[in-house]
Amino acid sequence: MKNIITLSVADFKLIFRDPSLRSFLGLPILLFALVIWLLPYLAQTYPGFEPYISVFMVVAAVENTQMFSFISSMVLIDEKENSVAQVYGVVPLSNSEYLLSRLAIPYLFTVCLNVILFIVQPFYHIGLIENISVSMLVGLIVPVYVIGINSIVKNRMQGMVYIKAFNLIVLAPIAAFFIPGKWEWIFGLLPSHWVFQSIQNLTNGEEVWMNLLIGFVFLMIMFLLLSRHFLKKHFN
Amino acid sequence: MPEVRLTSNKMIKVEDLQFQYPNSDVKTLKGLSFSIERGEVFGFLGPSGAGKSTAQKVLYKILQGYTGRIEIEGKDLKDWGKDYFSKIGVGFELPNHYLKLTGRENLALFGSFYPNSAIKDIRELFEMVELQDAMDKPVEAYSKGMKMRLNFIRAIQHNPDILFFDEPTSGLDPVNAQKIRNHILDLKANGKTIFVTTHSMHTADELCDRVSFIVDGELRATDSPQTLKDQYGKEEVRVELKSGEIKEFALPSIGENQAFIDFLKSGEVSHIHTLEASLDEVFIQITGQTLHV
Repeated sequence: MKNIITLSVADFKLIFRDPSLRSFLGLPILLFALVIWLLPYLAQTYPGFEPYISVFMVVAAVENTQMFSFISSMVLIDEKENSVAQVYGVVPLSNSEYLLSRLAIPYLFTVCLNVILFIVQPFYHIGLIENISVSMLVGLIVPVYVIGINSIVKNRMQGMVYIKAFNLIVLAPIAAFFIPGKWEWIFGLLPSHWVFQSIQNLTNGEEVWMNLLIGFVFLMIMFLLLSRHFLKKHFN
Repeated sequence: MPEVRLTSNKMIKVEDLQFQYPNSDVKTLKGLSFSIERGEVFGFLGPSGAGKSTAQKVLYKILQGYTGRIEIEGKDLKDWGKDYFSKIGVGFELPNHYLKLTGRENLALFGSFYPNSAIKDIRELFEMVELQDAMDKPVEAYSKGMKMRLNFIRAIQHNPDILFFDEPTSGLDPVNAQKIRNHILDLKANGKTIFVTTHSMHTADELCDRVSFIVDGELRATDSPQTLKDQYGKEEVRVELKSGEIKEFALPSIGENQAFIDFLKSGEVSHIHTLEASLDEVFIQITGQTLHV
């Protein structure tokens, strides 16, 4: 616990002292403003917009994950680029402690943002248990994304390129909402598809547990596989 | 093969250490065997790419997948858990700090992973390397030499028994390089076991109780710097007169050597120096390579 707090404090210092990262902390405020004020206005002004509100909620919830996905990815990329990662390889900190210390706070922060988002959105009545469960699943995108990026890239420039590619991959299953018939299941090969379906079911008042279960298992397996690869590379 | 002394006071014992990087066709380490006594300063002297840093990285467990046997205090390296990292301190070859954090924050962050009782006073550490005026400045404002001194105090802040220093004077001006060498000797005086890699003959000569010459992943010789110099140098003195005339005389009983005395009297002496080999010269004689590659 002490290590988690120490590293989180250090991470926040790094974020606040880097203008390019600091500005991303404002992203959720913008997102909340859009969901609370702009979306209701659009739905009221343009009735044809209403059927797509649930899709916008999916995008909003996933965009909440993008703040810490980007920030934490860049912090770890900087750490690798400046060889500070090597130092973590020679301190009494186990691999699991290291991962937990670096990813627990971004994950929990993202979960909280989404719980609040689902509470303050003015369109649907969502039960707290379902809300927290789906938010916990959505939040898992952050560690998988951060570890995935950092398993591949070696420097900040590469990081920027891969982050754009990862954003596209995360958001690609949005297309499933516009594809008729069973073709939408092809997006099931991407873990974010199950996250999107969970949010969609949540907002539509439908049963969420099956999508939740598949999403959790999918993302946890990806996280475990990627973290093995990441840990082999990161401290060298 | 270098000699491996078998005594009970070994801190580090390495036998037939071999290592190959996954993307390489050849082995980087080709069967190294050596041991380091408790309280000894041991050095790997060799050119860039010889395998010095790789050997250290295996020893501080950054690199896995080696073959051979490594024992630390008689216990297999593979059996050591994370408590091993409280026992060792690592001074990396290049500065590696969070640039946006201050020197104090960097040290405190990494110090926080060790038991509080082991951690030395941060101000004293900064004063030791004369960085106290910069301790609250972000590291991005430090020169390379300052960052290297920060590397040094980070490595020793938890009072480890074993220290690994990879090119400890790299990037330092001569004055600060000498200070770091003195600090390493102080650590030795306090009973620390120290493993240094360097391509600096001067650093190896001044610091090391024993050195191993390493070339292409193989150890070519291991002994004390003085023994190596004695073995490969000449026990002679060279006298040069201002007239340009030069003669060499054997050192044993030189005071009774009438030819030597007569030569000194024959003109004004310009230079007298012994023909002891430098470590550089010994290295070239043994390995056929130069250190500054």
